Amino acid sequence: MKIAVCIKQVPTREWQPRLNDAHTWIREQDVSYEMNEPDAYALEEALRLREKHGGEVVVCSAGPTRVQQVIREALARGADRALHVEADALGSADAFVTAESLAAAMADERFDLVLTGLQSDDQGHAQMGVILAERLGVPHSTIIMEIKVEEGTIRVKRELEGGWFQWIAMPLPALLTIQSGINQLRYATLKGIMAAKKKEIRKVALPGGLQPAQQIVSLSMPTRSKQTQMIAGSAPEAARELVRRLREEARVL
Amino acid sequence: MQRETLEVDVLIVGGGPAGLSAALRLAQLQSQHGGEPLSVAVVEKAREAGAHSLSGAVLDPSALRELIPDFRERGAPIATEVHADHVYFLTQHSKIEFPIIPPPLRNHGNYIVSLNQFVRWLAEQVEAQGIDFFTGFAAQDVLMEDARIVGVRTGDRGVDKHGQQKPTFEPGVDITAKVTIFCDGVRGNLTKELLRRLPLAVGRQPQQFAIGLKELWDIPPDRIAAGTVMHTLGYPLASDEFGGAFIYAMTDRHLSVGFVVGLDYPDPQFDPHMAFNRFKQHPFVSSLLGDGQMVRYGAKALPEGGWNTIPRTYMDGGLIAGDAGGFLNAMRLKGIHLAMRTGLLAGESAFEAIRAGDTSAASLKRYQDKIDASPVRAELYPVRNVHQAFGGGLWAGLAFAGVAVATRGWWPVDLHGEAGHERLRHLPPGTGSEVVAQPASNATTIDRRLTFDKLTNVHYAGTAHEEDQPSHLLVQTEVCSTICGPEYGHPCVRFCPANVYEIARESDGTPRLQINASNCVHCKTCDIMDPYGVITWVPPEGAGGPQYNGM
Amino acid sequence: MILVVAEQRDGRLNRATWETIAAAQALSANDMPMKVVALGASIGPVAQELAAAGVGEVVATEHEALATYTPDGFTMALRRVIESLTPTFVLLPHTYQTRDFAPVLAARMRASLITDVTGINGSGASATFARPMFQGKLAADVRPQGAAPFLVSIQIGAYRADTVKKGSAASITSVSVDIDAAAIRQKPEPPFQEAKQAVDLSQAERIVSVGRGIKSQENIAIAETMARAMGAEIAASRPICDNGWLPMERQIGSSGQTVAPKLYVALGISGAIQHLVGMKGARTIVAINKDADAPIFEVADYGIVGDLFEIVPALVKELEKA
Repeated sequence: MKIAVCIKQVPTREWQPRLNDAHTWIREQDVSYEMNEPDAYALEEALRLREKHGGEVVVCSAGPTRVQQVIREALARGADRALHVEADALGSADAFVTAESLAAAMADERFDLVLTGLQSDDQGHAQMGVILAERLGVPHSTIIMEIKVEEGTIRVKRELEGGWFQWIAMPLPALLTIQSGINQLRYATLKGIMAAKKKEIRKVALPGGLQPAQQIVSLSMPTRSKQTQMIAGSAPEAARELVRRLREEARVL
Repeated sequence: MQRETLEVDVLIVGGGPAGLSAALRLAQLQSQHGGEPLSVAVVEKAREAGAHSLSGAVLDPSALRELIPDFRERGAPIATEVHADHVYFLTQHSKIEFPIIPPPLRNHGNYIVSLNQFVRWLAEQVEAQGIDFFTGFAAQDVLMEDARIVGVRTGDRGVDKHGQQKPTFEPGVDITAKVTIFCDGVRGNLTKELLRRLPLAVGRQPQQFAIGLKELWDIPPDRIAAGTVMHTLGYPLASDEFGGAFIYAMTDRHLSVGFVVGLDYPDPQFDPHMAFNRFKQHPFVSSLLGDGQMVRYGAKALPEGGWNTIPRTYMDGGLIAGDAGGFLNAMRLKGIHLAMRTGLLAGESAFEAIRAGDTSAASLKRYQDKIDASPVRAELYPVRNVHQAFGGGLWAGLAFAGVAVATRGWWPVDLHGEAGHERLRHLPPGTGSEVVAQPASNATTIDRRLTFDKLTNVHYAGTAHEEDQPSHLLVQTEVCSTICGPEYGHPCVRFCPANVYEIARESDGTPRLQINASNCVHCKTCDIMDPYGVITWVPPEGAGGPQYNGM
Repeated sequence: MILVVAEQRDGRLNRATWETIAAAQALSANDMPMKVVALGASIGPVAQELAAAGVGEVVATEHEALATYTPDGFTMALRRVIESLTPTFVLLPHTYQTRDFAPVLAARMRASLITDVTGINGSGASATFARPMFQGKLAADVRPQGAAPFLVSIQIGAYRADTVKKGSAASITSVSVDIDAAAIRQKPEPPFQEAKQAVDLSQAERIVSVGRGIKSQENIAIAETMARAMGAEIAASRPICDNGWLPMERQIGSSGQTVAPKLYVALGISGAIQHLVGMKGARTIVAINKDADAPIFEVADYGIVGDLFEIVPALVKELEKA
């Protein structure tokens, strides 16, 4: 099976938010990056599918030069080669532009299966994978927990709200967006890290004329606008008043 | 599962300024001399280069100039030249400026840098040379055959908190090398093992340490000029506590603020982190930081003992460089250039020894000879007694330091120091409690804007570890539930800057040491300062630890 | 005109549909007409329910290929509906289902799609949309680009279903769509429920969380009683999970989960920043703590300084009334 995994590089979980002067993006100095968490699970799933069914795993990423970090990490964990659409602008691009750039780079490869994370930990649009499916002309399903490959088709377990699930069958080639936590991530071994240096990373230029579908007008730190209402009185009195306010004011009960 | 092995010519443990300088020098010698290519590998426990690197820092660029003459063209993050030096003596409410900057604290020609950024850049230079730089691999044990160093074993990965292997388990890697250069930093766990297994410390004085706490602050503009360097002595430390503060202006709105305290204070109820808070509350400092924002926090120990505490740094198949050996100038508060220089000399020594086909201690002794002939000895020898002199108190120390400068270190005898944790005094009888940690004697108000509690502060160190792993702090806890309380009042709760240690009480009243290992910032203070010597810091699973961006 | 896409399963409207209608009303500010489209195989009762609310004309689109949701089927159908009605905005609830098809629809129509919206600034064609970024650490104000229609999905709970302004019953029109069932590539099987192995607190609408103030593992039962009375999930701050009193999946904070439920009740939690970063996005925060200076009160909407062992039982009593 020829499997593609789309991987995004995002600021680490521990990143303290700081904005650029114009408040239109983050301050990129002193940011540490890591692989987007759901993408890491997608990569692991792809490696397991290759172990089971043979083939190759190709990492695809769109972003500035620095995304080499996560590409190398994916190669070190066992991916066979990589595609990198390299452009500074892709560091803050929206899902449309990202999907279009990847589609342009990936179309000729004719992957049997494309896996992406269900959304990114930075902009979190939850759109890129699905748009990519449309551009590649393949069927898709989202928030996938399990994949079973049969001859030319797959059956996937999709997560629904509220503890419900659903199996869906579709023909290959297809694209799936993967839920976090569905497997255990393997470590990169020393040998894997050394081998990664020799694996191919094909650089692709950003296609011209791509239009973003949305524009960030401004970014801000979320502030609490409400004043804390302290409720006094004996335990029964305070309890009564709190429940009343939760029912009538906040309407959360 | 098969244990991975790797064989190289030179293994460098630690990817800080010493280790990376050694690697770079090896690459340079290789291209200079040609011949049989040397395989070099660097192992670093942090997830990425520089993540665990923290320092003030004012860099003396002498070693950098020698190692990478075209450092500017290569984009070294050395932007801020020092423009003004100030040294103050603080009292509780005011400050007295030293009319003359003591020569060791003069920084003309030096640069204010972020060690984290500098190390990241150095690592790029190393990787550009094709050297394997393995991040996320913690060196756990030294591999020895008799007295010869043959390499290092890294830590297992994928072990759960009960010691059971997880499905992702990977055993540690055995990396063997002809020469292993240990650059594992202050109180490095492998260097500590070497000192235990080999007679490297014979005839040397006990090592001495300090703890450095640091914050990065964003402040409103126009309060301080970029390139300003300030050092302080005095308040809030008592005369038997060694230390002081620093304020370095990277730009006019971005400051490094820090506090250094010798880990040899006698009062077991003293809390170094509280001293840092008190310092910030001094009117001079609070007016500088007010309305600003603390954006990063961290802490690390410093090796302060100086020349006479540096052990033998060469052995069969091994060398020690940088902070791990204790190469830091406590008077100048500088160690990065010494780490770089000893690193590059270690690289040279390893190269020559391997080419000569002899990596025995006798052959590697050339490293010591090179150090003795280099600016390292010229700088460290004259100030060899300074830290020990402060053992007599602040005034004695200052006086001695003054004399040392004037006489270029001449003194009839070498002053003797003792290991700092042995100076900790017992609490007066009846004041300690078996069960409850004593409050800090220097506690002050916490407002979470200027001053912080440790738990809030450590959040800004960005420290993260795989949660499901065994605790990396090995403690013989019988002491905690018996004598430590009455004798010292559980000082670990106070000297750890990251809220790792807490004394909890079981429902039946028995005291229990609670270890919040995940908060650890790898400063090594606990390994150094605990009075009974029952705490051993070992590296947690690779890639865990702080994220010292900009530090 | 603003077109709201209703979501239903087996003839039952998802409450998020009403929330989306409330959002549409905010966006319109009485200046743009609204229509609501419902898709399915036999959509009559759902259409009636929507029409009765009188929020705008109801568009019923029926086709047997729409009996079960598939992204291909719904995309084809909605595209035809949108092309025939030409709305400026298309609003959808940000449900798993919407996430599954809306981006395809947007891509196929080359239309902008803004997802997970928590607020609308301004109204009409110049409106901008608030949405979280960087896992809630930052709030973004975003403007769609390109030409109409502009698709917008509304975060569950961002608008309240009970704030929908109702009117007199609206009309129902039918828009028929031609769907080539053979072109539907997905073959879904019936949904089923599973006892989930992993707890997903990020889905919970209400959470009762315990901290050190709960003092012992046995006492957690008190909090669990209140959680049951409120229909809430139980969660905890780090020390509780470190002690093994609750499983790690119930931990909220920088080393656990980040949640933004409608209601978060913090019992005996001091509010260390490591915990706050995991829950300060909750819509309504209630804090009960003995210490009036506990930092948790800085982020709480409602606070009670007192003994949780007295207050929680009193709360349970109140909750069990009515």
